[in-house]
Amino acid sequence: MAATTQVDMPGKPTETVTAVLDTATAAIQNFHPINKIHQHLCAFHFYGDDMTRQVEAHHFCSHQSEDLRQCLIYDGDGPDARLIGVEYLVSEELFLALPEAEKPLWHSHEYEVRSGVLFMPRVPGPIERRALEQVCRTYGKTFHFWQVDRGDRLPLGPPQLMMALTRDGQLREDLAKDVESRYGVSFEKEREKREYMEGQAKGIHPLANGAGKGLRLVLTEVDLPPVSSVPRAFV
Amino acid sequence: MADGCDMPPGKPMSAEKTVIDKGAEMLQSLKPLKHFKQQFCSFALFSHDPIRQIETHHFCSRLNHDFHQCAVYNSDSTSAQLIGVEYVISESLFKTLSPEERKLWHSHAHEVKTGLLACPRVPESLYRKEIAEFAKTYGKFWCTWQVDRGDRLPMGPPALMASPQGVNLGWVRPDLVKKRDDRYGISAAELREKRADIEEPDTIEGSNADYWVKCGKGFSVDVVETAMNLRAPFP
Repeated sequence: MAATTQVDMPGKPTETVTAVLDTATAAIQNFHPINKIHQHLCAFHFYGDDMTRQVEAHHFCSHQSEDLRQCLIYDGDGPDARLIGVEYLVSEELFLALPEAEKPLWHSHEYEVRSGVLFMPRVPGPIERRALEQVCRTYGKTFHFWQVDRGDRLPLGPPQLMMALTRDGQLREDLAKDVESRYGVSFEKEREKREYMEGQAKGIHPLANGAGKGLRLVLTEVDLPPVSSVPRAFV
Repeated sequence: MADGCDMPPGKPMSAEKTVIDKGAEMLQSLKPLKHFKQQFCSFALFSHDPIRQIETHHFCSRLNHDFHQCAVYNSDSTSAQLIGVEYVISESLFKTLSPEERKLWHSHAHEVKTGLLACPRVPESLYRKEIAEFAKTYGKFWCTWQVDRGDRLPMGPPALMASPQGVNLGWVRPDLVKKRDDRYGISAAELREKRADIEEPDTIEGSNADYWVKCGKGFSVDVVETAMNLRAPFP
């Protein structure tokens, strides 16, 4: 069920001897932070300054606490999926405690969940809905580093702040239909079943979702102290 | 534990939520995660402020012979915080990058040869070939959670990271290295001796990697307000 934006990766195929070595060393090491990832969510992100550019985003998440999740974002859910970004999800309580200047970088999840557009592949509806009831009330902060939607074969350029859908009419119909058909889901049918879900208790904060503005990340060269300005410290 | 590893904000997971998550988890395949095969520990510097240095734990999956994508954490424990993403490419892929893009990438030879980069618990002989190849690769590392400055949640835009280098501002503080070495019962100095014969990478014409070392300039990332390109009202 790979995403339709897959392109060939530049570079040579992995040699067999390398693959065998990888497996051998992996057997010795622990992968605690990775093994803790237990949840796959599929949704859509758009660029913080360009709603017309939308990306299918597969989140692989672990809980740091009941109020904080950290997710790796991939462009698909297959073995060759590209790691394109990260997302952090926080409860309403943690969001409200953020400084005012920080809040616009975060987006609300209520619309995505209640509209059915955010879902958990392969999880039956009743279990999925129980799990998503909590997501409905959270805020997320997402950065992408690889603009696969414009055909980049490598992660190029500055990082991108991403935003999430907040109302009907934003999501591109072609992307929606593609996901629905690949996963055998219907956003419309699921929306009806999720009508009971509640969003943020205090409503969507006016500063969230870019405070309604477009936001872009810009790289600037800054002067550093001369490299010899600190004494040599490493022995 | 690396710095910043105190209790995450938020409530511990309740039994009820854990059961719901477990039920869903059993049904999902989480394929991209099965490809995390390499794990290593090293150090990185903030490109806009190289005095700030952090211990990093990379969990990497190889997309092909020339490309790795890594989830970066601040420790290798189950409570590790996801602090960023690094992409690692071979010399041949690096040569395909534009001069401007190359400024965002760093070399790995110094941290490999000085023993800063380590694979705890794995006998050096098992990954000797890998590490010799790694010494010739280039990385692009975005840090999304600046735990070293005490952020309890990821704040602000991502920061571009740089790698340790053989100039005074690029040396890693001995106390950071010792803390890491003591925790794992390893010695960077011993690794350095074992790796003395690892080949340096070829010099690439117009490389621009480790731009800060050559030009005394780092990169800061700023959030800028702009007009959002819309296809529907927002938010």
